[in-house]
Amino acid sequence: MSETAQRAALAPEVSPPQKKDRGFLGRAGVVGGVLVVAIVVALLQSGSGLVVWQSVVTGLLTGGLYGLIAMGLTLIFGVLDIVNFAHGALLAVAMFISFGMVQATGMHPYLSLVIAIPVLFLIGAAVHRGLLSGTGGSSLENQLLITLGLSLLLENGLLMLFGAEPKTIALPSDFQFPLLGAVVAGSRLYAFLGAILLGALLYWLLRRTRLGTAIRAVAAHGPGAELVGINVRRIHTLTFAIGTACAGAAAALAGPLVTVTPTLGEQFNITAFVVVVLGGMGNVVGALVGGLLIGLVEQLTTIYLGGQSSLLGVFVVFILVLFLRPQGLFGRRSA
Amino acid sequence: MSARKLIATLGACALLATGCGGSAPMGAAGAAAGRDEGPVKIGALHPVSGSNAVDGQQMRRGAQMAVDAINAAGGIKSLGGRKVELVTGDTQGKADIGQSEAQRLISAGAVGLVGTYQSAVSTNVAVVAERNRVPFVADVTASDAIYAHGYKYVFRVQPGSKVIATAAAQYLQQVSQQAGKPVKKVAFLHEQSDFGSGAADAFTQAARQLGIEVGPNISYDAASVSDLTAQVTQVKASGADVLAVAGYYRDSLLAAKAIASVKPDLNAVWGVSNGAFDQPKFVTDAGDLGALYFSTNYHYDATNPQTAALREQYQRTYGDPMRTGAVLSYDAVQVIAQAVEKAASTDPKLVRDAIAAAQVAPLTVGAGPIQFAPNGDNRNAMAVLMQIQDGQVKQVYPPEKAESRPEYQVTWRP
Repeated sequence: MSETAQRAALAPEVSPPQKKDRGFLGRAGVVGGVLVVAIVVALLQSGSGLVVWQSVVTGLLTGGLYGLIAMGLTLIFGVLDIVNFAHGALLAVAMFISFGMVQATGMHPYLSLVIAIPVLFLIGAAVHRGLLSGTGGSSLENQLLITLGLSLLLENGLLMLFGAEPKTIALPSDFQFPLLGAVVAGSRLYAFLGAILLGALLYWLLRRTRLGTAIRAVAAHGPGAELVGINVRRIHTLTFAIGTACAGAAAALAGPLVTVTPTLGEQFNITAFVVVVLGGMGNVVGALVGGLLIGLVEQLTTIYLGGQSSLLGVFVVFILVLFLRPQGLFGRRSA
Repeated sequence: MSARKLIATLGACALLATGCGGSAPMGAAGAAAGRDEGPVKIGALHPVSGSNAVDGQQMRRGAQMAVDAINAAGGIKSLGGRKVELVTGDTQGKADIGQSEAQRLISAGAVGLVGTYQSAVSTNVAVVAERNRVPFVADVTASDAIYAHGYKYVFRVQPGSKVIATAAAQYLQQVSQQAGKPVKKVAFLHEQSDFGSGAADAFTQAARQLGIEVGPNISYDAASVSDLTAQVTQVKASGADVLAVAGYYRDSLLAAKAIASVKPDLNAVWGVSNGAFDQPKFVTDAGDLGALYFSTNYHYDATNPQTAALREQYQRTYGDPMRTGAVLSYDAVQVIAQAVEKAASTDPKLVRDAIAAAQVAPLTVGAGPIQFAPNGDNRNAMAVLMQIQDGQVKQVYPPEKAESRPEYQVTWRP
């Protein structure tokens, strides 16, 4: 896994040289060790194995969801170098599509995947063609402001269309089952499995298909890719569309878990950005693993700090990663 | 782009976002021309756009209905039947905008202001009202801090958060005793801002005095929380026999989902100033998950026929059930209009004095007429205990305000 995981980094990172690199397995070992210590400390702190175990289970399941959302974000970032602030808002759009479909036709919420994914794919393509492709050579700040503006536009559009009233997408026949004492909700498990499946699919797409090869080529070196006959603009649009479609999939899977509001995206945006940096920017598998880690960190923080903002722990980890390994856990730094 | 650059840009963005807020221009001119002629103007400040627009819209309509009722009854009689007019401002739920809108309405000749739904906005509006010497009667504003400043022009109709939390503890003891399962230990789950932790602190204080143990005290971030299973597991492990919850709508719904899956060993789930457990929408959204949940909060008086008539009229006109916030706005406008009537003047100072001496029959639950203490708080503001029974929110305690008897039990344990 070591080589492939490292090669999975789409965009080479420019960062200050470090003295030594432990290699993938070494890093995974360190992360695993820290986690074990964290869990043991949590156990001592709470004095209840059940509470910690439930936290770990919930953390992993929620983390899968974070990973799913971050995957699209990291793909767009890795290939296009765009910090897509509209990702959360696009997620909210997809949620409302899912909500609308379920309301109008009474279909099963997961069936709305079939609609949410292609619609978001098209929206993504349109957004890239219409708003972003023209800014190719311009500064990062321009693209950032465009996506920020787009997110405001989308959020307020949703507010206008659907109102601020929170909505719920009910999963008919949701169930709970005990897992060694901890409770697992079926809907959460589905979202988790969906995230894993989607991560695998994306990985396969990038590794094993012509399109994936082209995307990686463009990510690695745009002008070079152009020279060998790849239509870079088309690849950019496709990548943005695929990344946005990921948000669509995440929305349909997460719909039954959350309360749907137009400002829902904000809730996930920050976490998703942290996950992206943690996993190594542009690294799809890293995003998934980063998501799981952040989910765990969030839940364990709740135990340590008696439930003060769980974002506190998330940001501590974030800052540590930035200091110790700015290219992220799985990111490759330039040789 | 490196991670550091990303962070720098994100930081810049955050700065930009906060910078955009800016501060509102501070006009000091309070005395406005035009108060002596034309309709008597009452200013209504509510968040009619933004994420609380639904409640803001409700409250503006509630205020408008009060104005319409006064005009239909012949206007302000002591001023020769002058009509009343509602001048409105949209706070967008933002403190600085609320402040500038308050200034604008005062300049437009408002004799008094009602509003604002969010405590942070009310805090700023209170400052403007005080400085301009124009009375401000808060309809929905939970924070007690505003009423500790010694303001002369700031009043409030709803019970403050401390009043509600104290009532919650007392009702809990009484109801649990009547049910033959006296409460021993309460776990408190609350969102972590002033609202939730304030409620938890006040409840803890009151409960301890009654000999009820409170703990663990678990807080969470309402803005970012996406699951409360682990927190409810903590409650289960603690052996508490009641779970008190102080949260907003979205997170309280998450709490209900978590409670339904963890099924802690509780006798009751007890909302304290909870933003969900007494909402008709929660009954639909949570379904069986929320059945038999208790909630101590301010409420429209379901036992008052006048309130029922008003709510029916609202439902007919707008096709939407009238919420408590809107009824409180109605009450707040009544307070100002009756004060103008009593003072026979539109001078805000005289109106203020009349409000301070007022006795107004409320359409929300109260222990008597609306009557203000020196700090501006409504002396007779009262919290009522509600419960979701047969898919409806019913007032169950105290007995004189009850539509139904409290059922002290949780659904998963018959």
